[in-house]
Amino acid sequence: MSRIGVFVCHCGLNIAKTIRVSELAQFASTLPDVVVAKDYKFMCSTPGQEMIASDIKEHKLDRIIVAACSPLMHEQTFRKVIENAGLNKYLVTIVNIREQVSWVTHDVEEGTSKAKALLNGAVYRARLLAPLTSRFIDVSPDVMVIGGGIAGIQAALELANTGKKVYLVEKNSTIGGHMAQFDKTFPTLDCSACILTPKMDAVLQHKNITMMTYCEVTEVKGYVGNFDITVKQKARYVDHDKCNACLACTEKCPGKGVSEWDEGLVKRKAIYIPFPQAVPQKPVIDRDACTFFIKGKCRLCEKVCEQKAIDFEQQDTFSTVKVGAVIVATGYDLMNTKPLVQYGYGKYPGVYSALEVERLFNSAGPTSGKVTLRDGKEPQAIAILHCIGSRDKNNYEHCSRVCCMYSLKFAHLFKEKTSADVYQFYIDMRAPGKGYEEFYNRIIEEDVKFIRGKGARVAESADEPGRMIVEAEDTITGKFIKLPVDMVVLSPAMIPRSDSKDIARLFNLSTDKYGFFMERHPKLAPLSTMSEGIFIAGVCQSPKDIPDTVAQANGAAAEALTIVVKDKMELEATTAMVNPASCCACQNCIRVCPYGAPFFNEQKGVSEINEALCKGCGLCASVCPASAIIARHFTNDQVLAEIEGLMEF
Amino acid sequence: MSINFKQIEDKLKTEAKKLLEGGKVSIVLAYGKGYDEKHPMPYVARKMSDVENMVFNEFCTANMARYLVRYPRGTKIAIAVKPADSRAVIQLIQEEKIKREDLVILGIPVYGMKNFKTGETIDSKTTCGRYNPVIYDTLLGEEVHGQPVVSPYDVLAEYEKMDKDARWAFWKKELDRCIRCYACRKACPMCYCDPCFIDQNKPKWGEKSPESHGNLMYHLTRFHHLAGRCVDCGECSRACPVDIPLYLFHKKVAKECEEMFGQAAGMKIEDKPALVNFRVDDSDKILE
Repeated sequence: MSRIGVFVCHCGLNIAKTIRVSELAQFASTLPDVVVAKDYKFMCSTPGQEMIASDIKEHKLDRIIVAACSPLMHEQTFRKVIENAGLNKYLVTIVNIREQVSWVTHDVEEGTSKAKALLNGAVYRARLLAPLTSRFIDVSPDVMVIGGGIAGIQAALELANTGKKVYLVEKNSTIGGHMAQFDKTFPTLDCSACILTPKMDAVLQHKNITMMTYCEVTEVKGYVGNFDITVKQKARYVDHDKCNACLACTEKCPGKGVSEWDEGLVKRKAIYIPFPQAVPQKPVIDRDACTFFIKGKCRLCEKVCEQKAIDFEQQDTFSTVKVGAVIVATGYDLMNTKPLVQYGYGKYPGVYSALEVERLFNSAGPTSGKVTLRDGKEPQAIAILHCIGSRDKNNYEHCSRVCCMYSLKFAHLFKEKTSADVYQFYIDMRAPGKGYEEFYNRIIEEDVKFIRGKGARVAESADEPGRMIVEAEDTITGKFIKLPVDMVVLSPAMIPRSDSKDIARLFNLSTDKYGFFMERHPKLAPLSTMSEGIFIAGVCQSPKDIPDTVAQANGAAAEALTIVVKDKMELEATTAMVNPASCCACQNCIRVCPYGAPFFNEQKGVSEINEALCKGCGLCASVCPASAIIARHFTNDQVLAEIEGLMEF
Repeated sequence: MSINFKQIEDKLKTEAKKLLEGGKVSIVLAYGKGYDEKHPMPYVARKMSDVENMVFNEFCTANMARYLVRYPRGTKIAIAVKPADSRAVIQLIQEEKIKREDLVILGIPVYGMKNFKTGETIDSKTTCGRYNPVIYDTLLGEEVHGQPVVSPYDVLAEYEKMDKDARWAFWKKELDRCIRCYACRKACPMCYCDPCFIDQNKPKWGEKSPESHGNLMYHLTRFHHLAGRCVDCGECSRACPVDIPLYLFHKKVAKECEEMFGQAAGMKIEDKPALVNFRVDDSDKILE
């Protein structure tokens, strides 16, 4: 015989509007073993909590049922309440009558009836609940940061400065990310490299940061506090321990590859460092461009290398790192605008994508900072087209947030570096940020022409060969305009990295419809994910500018710290166990477990479960044909009783 | 060309002797004499003298893979397998119940087996309809060629014409006749749980005496447990004393699994059991 107390929450009107709460409490009091049943306006408030605590004492309750919101919101709150009142915290059951009832219907009859069914099931189950003991595990104190752009760099530095060891994994041969490609940053127009490279260098010098460039994560095992992450070191064909960064090899190399860093505007060598300030300042060989790998002979780099660092036999290597928390900061790609044929990207040489223009402005870029077209001439008229692929229901509905601002920056730099007329074709001008509106006003005064209308088409000029006509509707005057220009800049949608789905799979992250990683809560947990111990920062979550990215990186570092700062961590007691008498040794549990908790005991011929690894997800119990697996807190008896309670309605 | 059963029997005996004599295996799973020619029995030869009791004729339908899991892990076993039986062996290897290296597989290419109860010839209607074993070490006879290949799922045509309600009524009627002798479970090579869920008391998953609900619980759960695992040997249906066409449901589920996951049960050792293996490109149809 158990003594159950049922507490029904009104949640203001959130629940009380659609469910007759007092009737529900009255109904509960008629159920078996229920000693006391009450309803109250806000059960999670202090008076509500005190009511539960005093009733536990007064009525000697040993099971508590709270009919309220989702357990995700307040299960921990009520566990604390009953624990403080002297009960085992696993003896509280939450019945979700808000998200699963009152918020999904307007029908009071239906709502009340479903709430009764859920409560009936909960009472049946609560009678069979057993007290459980929590377990504690050691926490690995290190953190892994994935992505070496500004978000990853910032998060790594913050964490390293607290004394924690950080593994910074970057798939390219240098850290820096997109920010390293920019010339100036809006709205202050300070030089991107000048503010980024000191941070890159700080990463290199920091004793607590292990930089893993040219690396990719291939496997993730374990769980919060104890992740075992396998990282692939891609073959560089250069032994970085021996290399002294003299770069003689890069001078002699006859190979020609496409410079990713310069957005394909120029060629680079096959053995290369991506850019002069790259960190680490040591080259790698691009297999696809290397004469030796293509034709079987050359090895010029090997001949000039005094350190004997070139190693054509090098293979990919794998290492496993143990960390307590992970920050994913994998950044973005720009949408490929070639399929949008109306803009002529890839067809007309005068059409550029935003990142290419960043490189044209940059003094370390292909034109040494001069703005010239592909034929070497200086443009006379330039059109900047906003929202290419973004804010576009045919492509990406989201706003990429930064294009308005960098387009203004482009306009300013064009004005500074050329005598061209600059036109902005925009839908809405979005400048919500510190100093952004002021920057916009400043650019207006710089004689930049603003045309409120999305660029509709870029066509070849019939009159002036080599020039282009930008067609658009000026929505202020209502006139259709055709503007002759000789340079068009497209501001494409920011989209998740092409391999973001793989990262999502590795770390069990969910993604939104575009592929951006989903946060746990859009407002209150923007950096956490549904996978505990995995945090996100920067554009991989959604488009944002550098200040927001850096702020998120700092936030994610703090979140990660809340985990790794502890020595021990409490684990849910709701794990699974095997009843060896029933185990039929089919090993299905081993096959389905995402955490690697079950293993086969050859000697006994049965499966067993390593409880330290078990997260209590219940998959093993559901695939066990012999029902030999008992999921604590969700035992067959408990679940069947709950179903029985539900079915009575 | 037809199957020379006598020749297969002789070869089986020769191989069995050779294997037992050389100590390569400690037992040979095959068929032995019954009380008459129509009732050969599953037979375990442990010593040379046992071999003389072995037989092989068109009534040797039992799937000997059923007995593989009875012996301690690591026991060296030789097993005589017909085409569908060989698939059961592969499925058991996939499920890590047995190891390939512990087995000597004596393959029997065969067709024209007969149902001992009715005398009818067994074909793709109740089995997978193959003529040659999928896996073997020694073939006791020549591979069968030139026989018409019939899809094992052709027999479903009639069944699939029924709508949801008609199917429910059909199974309700058929399963109501079940006397819960569990012969299907005993004959099945993939039913190796001990105790079976239906025999458990805490919780009690279903009524144990023959009555409608318990029968449904037992059979529907068993169908489900065999999804993606049933090798379509048809032994459950032949073992059934009240002739419930269990093969229909198994074939239907096997067909769905094959369409959904692109693999049939027991065809390749390297395959993973379809229902407990996650692949990124798995069909989502199962969720619909």
